[in-house]
Amino acid sequence: MFWKLLPLGFAYGLLQVSLRFKNDGDLARRLKARDPRAMSDLYDRYGRVAYSLIYRIVRDSGAAEDLVQETFLRVWNRIQSFDGQRGSLGPWVMAVARNRAIDYLRSTDGRMSAGALELDRLERPAAFSGFDDGTLSLDRARALKAAFEKLTPTQKQVIELAYYEGLSQSEMAERMQQPLGTVKTWVRGALKALRDEIAGEATA
Amino acid sequence: MSRCQDFSEEFELYALGALDPAEMAEVDAHLREGCAGCEAALKNALAMNAMVMSMAPDVVPPARLKRRVLSGAGVHRMSWGWLGALAAASMLMIALWLSVQERSRASELAQVRRTLIQVSAQRDRLLQALSFLDDPVTQPVSFGKGQALPPHGNVFLHPKLGVLLIASNLPPAQPGKAYQMWVIPKGGSPRPAGLFQAEGGTAMHILSGPVDLSSMGAVAVSVEPESGSQAPTTTPVIVAALTGL
Repeated sequence: MFWKLLPLGFAYGLLQVSLRFKNDGDLARRLKARDPRAMSDLYDRYGRVAYSLIYRIVRDSGAAEDLVQETFLRVWNRIQSFDGQRGSLGPWVMAVARNRAIDYLRSTDGRMSAGALELDRLERPAAFSGFDDGTLSLDRARALKAAFEKLTPTQKQVIELAYYEGLSQSEMAERMQQPLGTVKTWVRGALKALRDEIAGEATA
Repeated sequence: MSRCQDFSEEFELYALGALDPAEMAEVDAHLREGCAGCEAALKNALAMNAMVMSMAPDVVPPARLKRRVLSGAGVHRMSWGWLGALAAASMLMIALWLSVQERSRASELAQVRRTLIQVSAQRDRLLQALSFLDDPVTQPVSFGKGQALPPHGNVFLHPKLGVLLIASNLPPAQPGKAYQMWVIPKGGSPRPAGLFQAEGGTAMHILSGPVDLSSMGAVAVSVEPESGSQAPTTTPVIVAALTGL
C-alpha cells in the first residue's frame, strides 16, 4: 500500500481526518449546552491538528499557542450558530484556525486591511454545518495526498501560498513575478487535479 | 462551460478569501441567488480545504496548551486524572485522620489504664491500711507529736500484717530523692523497709509481712536516693521509738 510509505506526520494527519472528522453532532450539542467536558473533548479531537496547521503557517510556537487558544475560544463563543445535529465540526475548526493564523501573518507583514473582515465573514458556522462522514473519509484524504504529490512544483507552490500564506492570486503573481493569468492557470489546474482525485475516489 | 461550473472551480479560493475583491463579490452575488448546485459545490470545497489543511506536518502542542484553552473559555479542567489524584489525596487525609484518631484513642486508653492501675493500687493500699486499723492486735506508735516541724504521724504495728506508716507535714522529696523507711532492731543496724514519696505533705507507707515486734527498737524514715540505700545516708526525718510494746 502506497500510504504505508507516507511520512509519519502525514500518517497522523490522515488519522485526524479519518478518526476525528467524525460525527460531532453530540459534541456540538454538548458545547451548546455549555457542558464543561465538551470543551475538553473538542480540544482532544482538534487541538493537535489545529496547532499543527497554525504552526505551519506562523512558524512560531508561542504565537501558535496564542492562536490555538483564540481559535477554540471563537468556536466556543460561536457554537450556538452551528447548525449541526450531525456531521463534523472539523472543517469549521480548521477554517477558524487557518484564518486566525493568516490574520496574524498579515498583521506582522503589514498586510492587514479588509482581509480580516473578509475571513471573519467566510467562517460563519452556518456554512460549515451538515458535513457527513463520507465527505471527509480516509480514502479521500489518501487520494488527496497522492494527488498533491503529483502536482508540478509551481502548482504545489501556489497551493501552499493560498492555504498557508493567505495570498490572493494577484498577490501570488506579484510574489512569484509571474503574469496573473499564468498564476490563475496554475491555481485552477492544481485545484482541479485535487478535486478530481477526491471526486474519483468518491465515485469509485 | 456554464457559469455555475466557472464558479465551482473557484469555491476553494473563495472560501480561503484568496480571490480578488471583485471576484469575491461576484461569487457572493451568485450564492445569494440560492443556487443549489453551487451550494453543494461550496460544501465540497470547504471539505477539501479542511483536508488540505490537515496535511500540515504534525507538531505535538505542549501539554499546557489544553489548560490555557480551557481556562481561556472559562472552563476548568476536571479530568479523571485530577479526580483520581483528588480521591487519592482524600483517602490519604482520611487515613491520616483515622491514624491520628486511633493514636489519640490508644493514648487516651493507655492513660485511663494507667490511672485505673494507680487507683486500683491506691485502693488496695487503703484496704490494706484499713485492715491494720481495724485489727485490735495493731499497736499504734505516734511520732513528732506537738511539733509543727519535723513531721508527725503514726506507725501502726501488726505482727502478721507488718508496719503501716502514716505521716503528715512531710515535704516532697527533692528531685532524684525518695523517702526510705527503716526498721531498726533493738541493738541492731537499720534494715531497709521500702521507699515512698510524699504527696500534698502526707504519706502512707506499708511494710507487708510478719514482723517480730518484740525485737524492734524503732521505725525511722530518711531521705535517700530514688534507688534506695542499704543503710541510712542522711539524718532521719522521722524516728518512732517503739518503747513499751
